[in-house]
Amino acid sequence: MYIMKSKFIHTISKGSRFNQIYIPKKLEHSFEVGDIVEVKIIEKKVRLFYSKSIKHLTPFKENIIKRIFAEINQFKEIKQIFVIGSFLTKNEDYNDLDILVVLRDEKINEKLVEKRIYEHLVQSLQLKYHLIIIKESILNNLIKKCPLTRSMLYNFVSNNNFELTDEMVIDKNHTKFLLMMPEDTLKVKVASRVLYDSIRRLITIQRFLDKKDSIPSEIDKDTKKILGETLYNYTMNNEEIDDKIRNMLRAIIKIKLETINKKLDMS
Amino acid sequence: MGKKENIKEMINILAIALRHKIGGIVNKDQIYSSRYAKDAQILIREAEKISLSLNLNDYDKSTIRIELKKKLKIELEKKDFLDYKKFDYMDDEIEIVLKDLGLS
Repeated sequence: MYIMKSKFIHTISKGSRFNQIYIPKKLEHSFEVGDIVEVKIIEKKVRLFYSKSIKHLTPFKENIIKRIFAEINQFKEIKQIFVIGSFLTKNEDYNDLDILVVLRDEKINEKLVEKRIYEHLVQSLQLKYHLIIIKESILNNLIKKCPLTRSMLYNFVSNNNFELTDEMVIDKNHTKFLLMMPEDTLKVKVASRVLYDSIRRLITIQRFLDKKDSIPSEIDKDTKKILGETLYNYTMNNEEIDDKIRNMLRAIIKIKLETINKKLDMS
Repeated sequence: MGKKENIKEMINILAIALRHKIGGIVNKDQIYSSRYAKDAQILIREAEKISLSLNLNDYDKSTIRIELKKKLKIELEKKDFLDYKKFDYMDDEIEIVLKDLGLS
């Protein structure tokens, strides 16, 4: 009985040749040379890897991210986890916590994994999440050809090392797919925020076709330059707009679409 | 706009919305399924605004179903960059959206 109750919790430390766990002084008579022990992990250390664009986060945000990573890491299907979006870049008015979960390239029911991770997260850390689940091979393909994915991953904190590849491939079908919504805003009367999102999307695509990085802050700057400060804030906050402003925004979208389509035809 | 024109406008928006949704489903880059489902949802809500402003009878509902199928087929045909499987999802997605709007 005494043997079974002898236990301690320690952190593994770095040794010159081998990493090690020291036996606490007060337990030296319980754990003696020659005794047989079992060592198991009870909490995995979580390291944070930052994109070059993120200098630092507050300890509060870092702790939240570490806890999220520790919770998601329990799922064996996971290859890598990213926290992305406004939580990293805004001080107060950030939206949901955007989490990109990369799955191993195995036969996995992604919908089911997504549901399990989401429920587990909500149960363990009561926060609002937006979960994106993707397989590793699909993400590797997308980061070469998709301006929106590149922009999304420009700012990140991950549980593993990651760098956006410089290789950019123009995929006409994929780009046309991304242009569908901006094109439709010319025909359908949509809320002002949708027009704002469409203009941002077009700027991101155009930058990609010009082989420029999809830097969210630069895309913001370009959007502000085109719309002007007032209209930028107005549409971003989804305020009501009249037909005159709507037509003006549609004209911007139309010109951008023409420029992009020309570039696509030439590529 | 009269009732007829409003119904026509609603069908147009629904057809575009479903093209987005189906586009997201057949696109192999699954990261976009949710993004395009969101785009579709934005448009469906626009169609819903029109629907709520109309007093639709059973005849109107049946017309909407028939015309929506025709219009959606045209919308999907125009987008040749979407996988050919797109046509397989038409009936199910029409059913879902009409039910969602209380038009089934």
